[in-house]
Amino acid sequence: MSLVEALKNRRYRIERLEGPEEECRRLLDLGLTPGEETSVVQAVPFGDPLVVVVRGMRIALRRREASWIKIH
Amino acid sequence: MDKNSLAGTVTPSEAPDEAEPESKRDQKAKPLTACLAGVPNAGKTALMNALTGGSFHTANYPGVTVTISRGRTRAEFGPEMTLIDLPGVHSARAASPEEELSCQVLEGRHPSIHPDAIIAVVDSTQLERHLKFASFTARRGKPLVLALTMMDMLARSGQSISANKLAEALGVPVVCVDGRTGWGAEEVISTLRREIEKPVTEDSALARIPDEPVAAYREIRHLLDLSGAIKKSRPLVVAADSMTERIDRIVLNRYLGFPIFFTILVALFASIFWAAQPFMDFVEWGFAQTGALALRLLPEGALSRFIAEGLIGGVGSVAVFFPQIIILFFLMTLLEDSGYLARGAALVDRPLSRLGLHGRSFVPMLSGFACAIPAVLAARTIPQRRERLLTIWIIPLMSCSARLPVYALLLAALLPGKAGRAGLVLAGIYISSLLVGALTAGLIGRFVLRKQSSSMLAMEMPLYRKPLIKPTLRITWSRSAAYLKKAGMPIVLISAFLWLLSNFGPGARQPVSESGARPALVTASDLDHSFAAGIGQTIEPALKPMGVDWRVGVGLISAFAAREVFVSTMAIVFHVADDGENQQAGLLENIRSATFAGTSQRVFTTSSILGLIVFFFFSLQCLSTVAVVKSETGSWKMAGLQLLFYTGLGYLLSSAVVQGLRLVGIE
Repeated sequence: MSLVEALKNRRYRIERLEGPEEECRRLLDLGLTPGEETSVVQAVPFGDPLVVVVRGMRIALRRREASWIKIH
Repeated sequence: MDKNSLAGTVTPSEAPDEAEPESKRDQKAKPLTACLAGVPNAGKTALMNALTGGSFHTANYPGVTVTISRGRTRAEFGPEMTLIDLPGVHSARAASPEEELSCQVLEGRHPSIHPDAIIAVVDSTQLERHLKFASFTARRGKPLVLALTMMDMLARSGQSISANKLAEALGVPVVCVDGRTGWGAEEVISTLRREIEKPVTEDSALARIPDEPVAAYREIRHLLDLSGAIKKSRPLVVAADSMTERIDRIVLNRYLGFPIFFTILVALFASIFWAAQPFMDFVEWGFAQTGALALRLLPEGALSRFIAEGLIGGVGSVAVFFPQIIILFFLMTLLEDSGYLARGAALVDRPLSRLGLHGRSFVPMLSGFACAIPAVLAARTIPQRRERLLTIWIIPLMSCSARLPVYALLLAALLPGKAGRAGLVLAGIYISSLLVGALTAGLIGRFVLRKQSSSMLAMEMPLYRKPLIKPTLRITWSRSAAYLKKAGMPIVLISAFLWLLSNFGPGARQPVSESGARPALVTASDLDHSFAAGIGQTIEPALKPMGVDWRVGVGLISAFAAREVFVSTMAIVFHVADDGENQQAGLLENIRSATFAGTSQRVFTTSSILGLIVFFFFSLQCLSTVAVVKSETGSWKMAGLQLLFYTGLGYLLSSAVVQGLRLVGIE
């Protein structure tokens, strides 16, 4: 499943990134690398973007971007 | 946390570093230059403030026009060093012009900035991510010191770091600093000096971290684990600070998020308009007095009037907006430092990205309501070129404060004695400008600048912090000064030029004379025969559809210096005595009774006033904006297109409104 389907405040591990190369590279640069723990802590009023915590950082990700992040 | 530092950098030659700091190269005359580099929100600006003692200034550099702060190290820290605060970089794969500039400098590709050393600023609460960027700076092969910031915030996220162990693991000197109190600042400089003497970064563990992110993060984690530098009481995935968590839960709440956002916006507007008002009145008064004084002191003649009205008046027309700009920059800097700005961008990202804009477009759009110039500059933070251009494209539609005096005059003429209704119409104009901007962005985004798939948000949300007033004031001041430099000169030059046009004519009583005729100085009442009048009369046929005569045309031309100049030009062309208080009332009276030459047909009717409002709503009557767009986009193409598009659109729509109204019987 992808990060979009993640339950709020549940911890997951990133499995892989699946999406356009350039964009995924930016997510990797941000620290969203496979094997890393992450969780969705909040969605802003429109339900998009999501607020994701990884490596102790809070990152706002659009749903589109979150859907590239496969988790388990 | 321990009083730290430079451990791990085994320096065999313990040369007395203060004695001969510039032994290498021929740097006897030129002070060393060090760059502060890091991810945005790493605390660079606070550190810059501490290192320079607050005496840094911003400067524009060639290439992309990005403002960089530059300053000198404090005298107590030994021989002077030049410090340059590079814009924060999200990723070494630079996206925005700001990031690109930083990368150019770090990679040695910049034409004029060549740092001798780098201070890599690393936020200790987001160590892994910041070390990733620090490793990029370490690979440049320049002497490097790692400045570890936000140590006070670290405890809040349940961690602690030993600088000594970190330095040992990374193979580069690490200094803990607190830019806010200045703690550790001197040590950064002395460590840097030692590093320049004996660089160790090149084959340090930090520099050997690969560029590829997965491997890089693995290596960083490995190094950190081995070093034992970090003590975590909580796993990193939940480590985000609890105060930040609590605030976010409120400000990003489904129901409260937008009300809070709009309350902040309204408060911001209120301060820009009402809090600035007394200061603006004062500035206006001051310039009027100075002008009057100049007239009295200087020998009477063309020159003294040029100085008093053309120059001092011109400077005054810029300066009058300065209080608003300062308040805008101050509040924006506060919001930015506190961490809220990123939340605001996240909140509006969805609606804005639907229009082809970006969450970050909201800051430029908001600034556009004060002045388009800082707004265009603020668009630099938008990473995608397309979204940046689209944002810049719609900024001129935002109802800037220079339009306010024009609307005030026109509405007073349209709705005499009905201030309440005029206020409502004015509010309508402001809201429409936002809606029309959104519509334009949507249309242009759909049909002209086609959407690219690479649009991304992926934005860090910094921890909330209490902003510090002193650095905020300093940044406010340097941003405002940069604005004044950028916008001020064109406005002053243009208004001086327009003054000449409207005060000189091709010989008195000869509106259209042979070239070479002695230009005679004409008094205010003789504006009718000036060059400006000549131009106005030439374009009069074109003004017919808008239902106005050449005198209004002169006003429209003069408004290209700055829109509010329209009002003072109207006062001149409609022969209103300049006695301050009564000017507005006298102007209204004269405007209402003005008729087309030789007829009894009124110039200012319901239809023509509405037409003028529509014209000012759309038209890009601000050559300074055109100049700034040119310098920001790097070509005249967009700036010229924008000028033609909006001014043409304003003309067409205004004519359509006037003719349409007349068709249904409204004069």
